[in-house]
Amino acid sequence: MVTAFDYVPAIVLLPFVSFVVALFIGKQLPKKGAYGGIAATAGSLLLSLWVLASVAGGGAHQETYWTWAEGVGSQPFTLEFGALIDPLSALMLVIVTLIATLVHVFSLGYMNDEGERDLPRYYAGLGLFTASMLGFVIADNLLMAFMFFELVGLCSFLLIGFHFREPGPPSAAKKAFLVTRFGDYFLLVGVVAVFATFGTAAFAGAESFPALAEGALDGTVDVWTPGGLDTMTWFTVVGLLVLGGVIGKSAQFPLHTWLPDAMEGPTPVSALIHAATMVAAGVYLVARMYGFYALTPTTLGIIALVGGFTALFAATMGLVKEELKQVLAYSTISQYGYMMLALGSGGYVAAVFHLTTHAFFKALLFLGAGSVIIAMHHNENMWDMGGLKNKMPVTYWTFLAGSLALAGIFPFAGFWSKDEILYEALIHAGSEPLLFAGYAMGLLAVPVTAFYTFRMVFLTFHGNARSEIARNPEPVRWNVKGPLSVLGALAVVTGGINMVPVQKVLGIEGIDYLHLWLDNHWGGIEGLSSHHYAEIDPYSSTYPFGTEVATVLAGAAISLALAVAGLLLAWKLYNVAEPVEHTDKLGGAKTLLYNNYYQDEFQVWLADRTRGVSGGADTFDQGVVDGVVNGVSSVSLFGGDRIKRIQTGVVGNYALLLTVSLTALLVVFALLGGWF
Amino acid sequence: MSWIAIGALALVGIAIPLAMMAVSALLRPAVPEQSKSTTYESGEIPTGSGHVQLNIQYYMVALLFVVFDIETVMIFPWAVMYRSALEAGTPLSQALLPMLIFVGILVVGLVWAWRIGAVEWTTSLRAATQKTERQNT
Amino acid sequence: MSLLQIEPTSWLFALSSLGPTVVLVLSALAVLAIDSLSPDARSNTRLAATAAAGTLIALGITVWYLLAGTGQPATGGAISLFSGAIVVDGMGLFFTAIFTSVAALVVVASYDYLEDDANPAAFYSLLLFATTAMSLMAVANSLATVFISLEMASLPSYALVAYLKTNRGSVEAGLKYFLIGAVSAAVFAFGISLVYAATGSLLLPDIATAIGDVTDLAGILGVGILMVAGGFLFKTASVPFHFWAPEAYEGAPAPVSAFLSSASKAAGFAVAFRVFAEAFMPALDVAVDWGLLFGILAVVTMVLGNFAAATQTNVKRMLAYSSIGHAGYALIGLAAVTAGAGANNATVMGAAMAHLLVYGFMNTGAFLFIAMIERWGVGRTFEDYAGIGRKAPMASMAMAVFMFSLAGLPLFGGFFSKYFLFLGAINAGFWWLAAVGAVTSALSLYYYSRVVKALWLEEPTGNLDALDSKPTGLYAAVIVAGVITVLLLPGFGPVIETAEAAAAAVFA
Repeated sequence: MVTAFDYVPAIVLLPFVSFVVALFIGKQLPKKGAYGGIAATAGSLLLSLWVLASVAGGGAHQETYWTWAEGVGSQPFTLEFGALIDPLSALMLVIVTLIATLVHVFSLGYMNDEGERDLPRYYAGLGLFTASMLGFVIADNLLMAFMFFELVGLCSFLLIGFHFREPGPPSAAKKAFLVTRFGDYFLLVGVVAVFATFGTAAFAGAESFPALAEGALDGTVDVWTPGGLDTMTWFTVVGLLVLGGVIGKSAQFPLHTWLPDAMEGPTPVSALIHAATMVAAGVYLVARMYGFYALTPTTLGIIALVGGFTALFAATMGLVKEELKQVLAYSTISQYGYMMLALGSGGYVAAVFHLTTHAFFKALLFLGAGSVIIAMHHNENMWDMGGLKNKMPVTYWTFLAGSLALAGIFPFAGFWSKDEILYEALIHAGSEPLLFAGYAMGLLAVPVTAFYTFRMVFLTFHGNARSEIARNPEPVRWNVKGPLSVLGALAVVTGGINMVPVQKVLGIEGIDYLHLWLDNHWGGIEGLSSHHYAEIDPYSSTYPFGTEVATVLAGAAISLALAVAGLLLAWKLYNVAEPVEHTDKLGGAKTLLYNNYYQDEFQVWLADRTRGVSGGADTFDQGVVDGVVNGVSSVSLFGGDRIKRIQTGVVGNYALLLTVSLTALLVVFALLGGWF
Repeated sequence: MSWIAIGALALVGIAIPLAMMAVSALLRPAVPEQSKSTTYESGEIPTGSGHVQLNIQYYMVALLFVVFDIETVMIFPWAVMYRSALEAGTPLSQALLPMLIFVGILVVGLVWAWRIGAVEWTTSLRAATQKTERQNT
Repeated sequence: MSLLQIEPTSWLFALSSLGPTVVLVLSALAVLAIDSLSPDARSNTRLAATAAAGTLIALGITVWYLLAGTGQPATGGAISLFSGAIVVDGMGLFFTAIFTSVAALVVVASYDYLEDDANPAAFYSLLLFATTAMSLMAVANSLATVFISLEMASLPSYALVAYLKTNRGSVEAGLKYFLIGAVSAAVFAFGISLVYAATGSLLLPDIATAIGDVTDLAGILGVGILMVAGGFLFKTASVPFHFWAPEAYEGAPAPVSAFLSSASKAAGFAVAFRVFAEAFMPALDVAVDWGLLFGILAVVTMVLGNFAAATQTNVKRMLAYSSIGHAGYALIGLAAVTAGAGANNATVMGAAMAHLLVYGFMNTGAFLFIAMIERWGVGRTFEDYAGIGRKAPMASMAMAVFMFSLAGLPLFGGFFSKYFLFLGAINAGFWWLAAVGAVTSALSLYYYSRVVKALWLEEPTGNLDALDSKPTGLYAAVIVAGVITVLLLPGFGPVIETAEAAAAAVFA
């Protein structure tokens, strides 16, 4: 019987085929490969939905497609490619393919209609980007995940640097590549450490590394640790190494600096990077191996702290930006900080929930921004906009929906997910005081987020037009409005998949669909359920406001009140006919924020300090490594030259050499064989 | 142990001729004379160089001779055995046929060599000029 | 359909079991007959067609037998003929497939090469007779048959190398080849006589049984085995019997070089594999550790061949040395053999057989590309090859395939054959052979890529107008060899399975 799971490879391969097609014959195709990309991603979307339905029907699936290296000897490492389809990956597949499809459609308007050059390269990049991310999502082991993780990084490099003829994009692409590669370096060491420790990198099953780690901590399984290190300490180290890659990819402090620069890429690419592919990959990886992270309280604490700090830190920088996409970039960093906070405080479901809602509303905001950018002839400065509300109503209303979601205003999608994250942090803070810090920073970020979001909305769409272009914006077509409408609707309603507060307060059972989904309510793989994670994580729940219901209500009320406060402040300051830059009043603080706390400068300074080390490495490379290589080759050539001399061309010499060698062999073997 | 005997035999075998030559060199009177060191040509006075290039067609004939020589070597034991083999009941297909195939293959080769002119005694251009030169002198 | 349905003692059965050999003989005689009928006519086309048809039919029969399981365990095991002097089995058929494929490619390519030749019949018939002899080498089961067939393959080869009678290089190469061949044949014959003296038999299985009782004569047997090995080392162009190879391959017409370095080398290995696996296995413990002998020689051959190739300036001579290096790789098939380890022995020897098959195509193709260059008269050195890729892209692409495949890059057939060979050696415990093989392969990439670099990346130095003529036969042969080299990457599974099954049957 043919099931959806037989088509799992096709989900990955379809975008890959569109990549190949666009690359080789894209020039000959109508729309330069766009239709192929749309068809491929739409096909993947349909298959993903089918897979989602099958998982909901009680199925889950793990299959090894190809064993590409089989170990020999005492420690047989088997390196495989396989698919792991469980509720988490099925959900992620749908998100990625949906966003990718919409981005492809939007690109018709943003790239084709704007008459961009080199479109086959663009669509090839999008196809490979999507394929890599999908491969990463279905990966059933850490090594395969790592490979696709790297591919995702490569594709982001290619797409951010798409306009390579201008000075900015190539530099931004390089920065994105190098900064994420810095994190990936730790991840690579982590992957090797996982292999060395457990002999496997599988995510699921009784022989998977999370399961083995759990056994090792219970004392039922023996694992290798370097120098007989305590298992808990070693697992924390391994977890932190893997986390290095996550922090790079998901743009968490201190490796977030690449992301704002990545805005140099085409806007649809930004949407894809921020909503579904690149940045989401980091958080997804933590969720994927949550069974491992949940075992080590220290790692969880660090994740929560980094997440909470990033949420607040990035939000403050968003306050003062003048360009539309810059604001969105910092909001992305901040929102992924929330997800990390959730993961660190035991809120696995909350993190996945926010990943989902954020995917929709952030894609929406970026595509909306893209629409505005088309209208503004690629001027991104918000101070040149204003009053676009009436000129482009579809964009305005959908963008507003996305903004309300981002700000966390009831009842939009972002409210539910953000609220749940803060709630999880709050109730678990009793057993881990560190989480209080995370909770406090997350809470403080709420009004800041609401403020900068609506500063952006009001500056862009309200008031009077502040430039000639803004008075006569270029109209956008269906291929822009269509994706916006779809995502607008989703940004409004997605919260409905997980209305935990409603359930708690009103006592209606069974409407926390995402909780049930991730808890293998309809089916899944043993050991990969939120229930299981809750059992092994180090937290217990305490309710600072007395009962559970009171805590839910109080938490939601506080965060909503703060969000509304931020919104109202923005309303007061910027929703006027001729707004002025009120953040100027911040003085020196504004300069600090505007320059991103001088993070870039600091990192460059830091990189300069390492020049001595790298200079030493360079000397070593040039002197020793190259020396050895060159030495080997010259010795080889010299040896070859000597050997060539044996061939004198005189046949008598040959016969002599032949006879002498044969005699020598005879003598040697006669002595060895003891013939005499 | 038996190898020592072989080695000794080899030594003796090399030593005897060396010794004989050495002894004769010591005993004989030395009378150097030019005619002693000339090439022996049945009493005639040698003319020309010792390095003579023979016509390649001699080798052709020699090769064909070798072919027929080997053919004879193979046919001879077969002919001796043939009658007794037939009397022992060997069918003709095993007694006669293999030899016919063998000879047949050689015949094909011979016919081909003949047809492309390998056995024709052609005079090369150089040989012809040399002949005229000799006649003129 | 099995041949065993026919009465096993009949002549017809013997002939049909030796089908490929018979077809090759008949086509050679047909070539001579056609030329005899009209010696003065321009008959290159007819002769080439006859010869090509003969080799292809022989190849077809061989493949059919291989698939039908003739002489293999599936249909009752090896077929023993002529009182055991000849045995038709999987290994024999596998190697015959290599010889006939190479011969077919060479015949097709020679059609253009001999376009202006006065008498091509001699060339085709010599080539076919040599192929016949090789197909006999593959099935020879007695040292007498081995010697006769080996000489029968060598004699036409000498003549073929010296085929360009007016070219001093060709004649000199032929003479050198012949002289070294004579020395080696003497060594070989003497070795056979010593083995006969020690064991009292020439039949390989009988030798194996007799080796247990040699006791006093172990030394004689050891010397004999070493000298027999010398005969094979000559045929396979391995150190120290390799001296003829660079000169013969360089001086000979390029199609002949292709034939010698691929088919002739494989034939040497065919007979060496059989003789050592069937007859001399028990001698490992009794007389001489020939596994070690071949191990040492494999290392020396790999190192010498690849190092000498690295410094050549002449492409054909570079290929000649690389061919010596590849003999070293194939020698691993004999070197990684240990007494009593049947499965490992069969795996590594099967891998060596598969390598020889892949090598047959990629190396033949490379030499035929040289033949094309010779026909164009462009030149011989790396510099002369500069920029040819632009004028002759298809052929140069095929040459790039051959070079990278010979180096063992994982894009073409040559990768898997080397990989399985080294893996087999490691599994058999001979990691040092695999290590030397891997290191020398890395070195080989240097000089192979020089060719590709010259073809594609460098600016033409001379006049390349000669490249406007397109020799059809040469082109076809080169392209076919290239396509097969590529196809052998995905199609390597059946090849290695057949080879390993055939090797296992010999070791059993």
